[in-house]
Amino acid sequence: MPLYLPIAELSMDVFLVIGMGAIVGFLSGMFGVGGGFLMTPLLIFVGVPPAVAVATESNEITAASVSGALAHWRRQGIDVKMGSVLIVGGAVGSFFGAQVFTYLKSLGQVDLMISLAYVVFLGSVGGLMFWESMRAILRQRSGYIPPKISREDRHKTWVHALPFKMRFRKSKLYISALLPLFIGMLVGVLAAIMGVGGGFVMVPAMIYILGMPTNVVVGTSLFQIIFVTALTTIFHSVNTQTVDIFLAVLLLIGAVVGAQFGARVGFKLQGEHLRALLALMVLVVCAIMGLGLVLEPTELYSATDTIATGAGH
Amino acid sequence: MIRVLAIFFMSCALFAASLPAGGLVTDLSNKRIEIRYSFEGAQLILFGAVGSSAVDPVNDAFDVVVVVRGPEAETVVRRKDNIGGIWVNNADLVFPAAPGYYAVAASRPLTEIAQPTVFASYGIGFDNLPLIARSNRGLLKPDPEFRTALYRLRAADNLYRQEVDSVSLVAEGLFRTDVHLPANVPVGEFIVETFVFQEGSLKARNRIRLNVGKEGFERAAYDFAHQSPFLYGLTAVLVALGAGWLAGVLGKK
Repeated sequence: MPLYLPIAELSMDVFLVIGMGAIVGFLSGMFGVGGGFLMTPLLIFVGVPPAVAVATESNEITAASVSGALAHWRRQGIDVKMGSVLIVGGAVGSFFGAQVFTYLKSLGQVDLMISLAYVVFLGSVGGLMFWESMRAILRQRSGYIPPKISREDRHKTWVHALPFKMRFRKSKLYISALLPLFIGMLVGVLAAIMGVGGGFVMVPAMIYILGMPTNVVVGTSLFQIIFVTALTTIFHSVNTQTVDIFLAVLLLIGAVVGAQFGARVGFKLQGEHLRALLALMVLVVCAIMGLGLVLEPTELYSATDTIATGAGH
Repeated sequence: MIRVLAIFFMSCALFAASLPAGGLVTDLSNKRIEIRYSFEGAQLILFGAVGSSAVDPVNDAFDVVVVVRGPEAETVVRRKDNIGGIWVNNADLVFPAAPGYYAVAASRPLTEIAQPTVFASYGIGFDNLPLIARSNRGLLKPDPEFRTALYRLRAADNLYRQEVDSVSLVAEGLFRTDVHLPANVPVGEFIVETFVFQEGSLKARNRIRLNVGKEGFERAAYDFAHQSPFLYGLTAVLVALGAGWLAGVLGKK
């Protein structure tokens, strides 16, 4: 059943869109990740203009994060104060990210930037995750138990040397507000240029750099993602008019259903194996994006209308 | 549909008998195309009748060329080049007024109908479109590489069509052709020009207009996004918050 999407300006099959939402939702439910890093490349792959894919995916992530954050809120798993500092940083980052996005779009280089950002971030995060999970699996097989490092020891000394210290009761932390501000900002930039929530950068940063307890990490990161992707949606709407509400809602319908099934499968798998699988998936997406940059395209030319006229290309 | 066609041809035949001087009459099966949620493109039929004052359809062979031109827009054509191992948009060329749709249908291959210079003087055919390019040095004749690239890209999207569709001569000076508008057709005013050739020279021409517009809900959404982008963004966020909340409540059960 084809549906004409008025903002993306193309006809797409409703069931294809819902199906894509369901597959990505399944994987994100299984691995407990947002799935933006899968959905945006997938949308680009099926022919949605990259700018529309990124902006629309921000809108979908807002919705997906609300339902996730609600569950964590009920379990008191959100550090609102820490989240708020992360949001302030995220707002600044998202604003600048959207400006860069708009500028590069006018130069015709936004597709290149999206691909490069994917290759760099997914490559490094996926590589680290893969290495870490393989080490854990191998250690488990050989029966090696690594010595426990206490939360205080993980806390690097340079972290404590920074000014503007703030107390975060829920996270049991007394650290400089500059750190979460900076992390939030980086995530905001990524949200604006990659169409992701940024959890894959924020969660490790919260654990390893801020030293937050794991029970509030995911909830707080979802809490931040709601606000930052909401702002990103508004920035993209104002700057480039690339947010397609209908596409976002259809993707969400699929994702909600898929996530329910994915979560059930995820419970049955071991943590290390899940992480290794997720890392592999991240690396595959990175490789596909990378190949698109390196391989000679069959068509070297592209045509774009500079002013929106309603033409679908 | 067949009945409509029959009635149309009958009225055309009557019409043709009493055509004014230089008589060429054309009409479209639909002059207003509305893009709605299920829009998958549109097929139109152009009907026409040639009167005896233009050519004598009964005794002399004639040819018909129909040109459909969509609204013009500033278009950038970019070329990727390999820079440091990756393919990057490098060179570009701006066409300030490239038609978003351009289709030429003819009753015979164009080369058999008339000399290329004849088509050039009436601007028929993609090669004769007055496409100029803009650069830092002002307006100039475009690099043929970019021009053919534009043609190739739009032809691949079914937006530029030449030597694809044909005009069928029915009988007694009546002719018809199909106009194919793909789903990604640009919105705006289209001009449908019909040329009648005989022995290599133009005998009659006329033009009618065709309008393509987004309608109803699609139009409202598009206008909303472009005219009040901040409110549109806010709406998108509210929809997402509501949908996410609903999903969370349903998922809990």
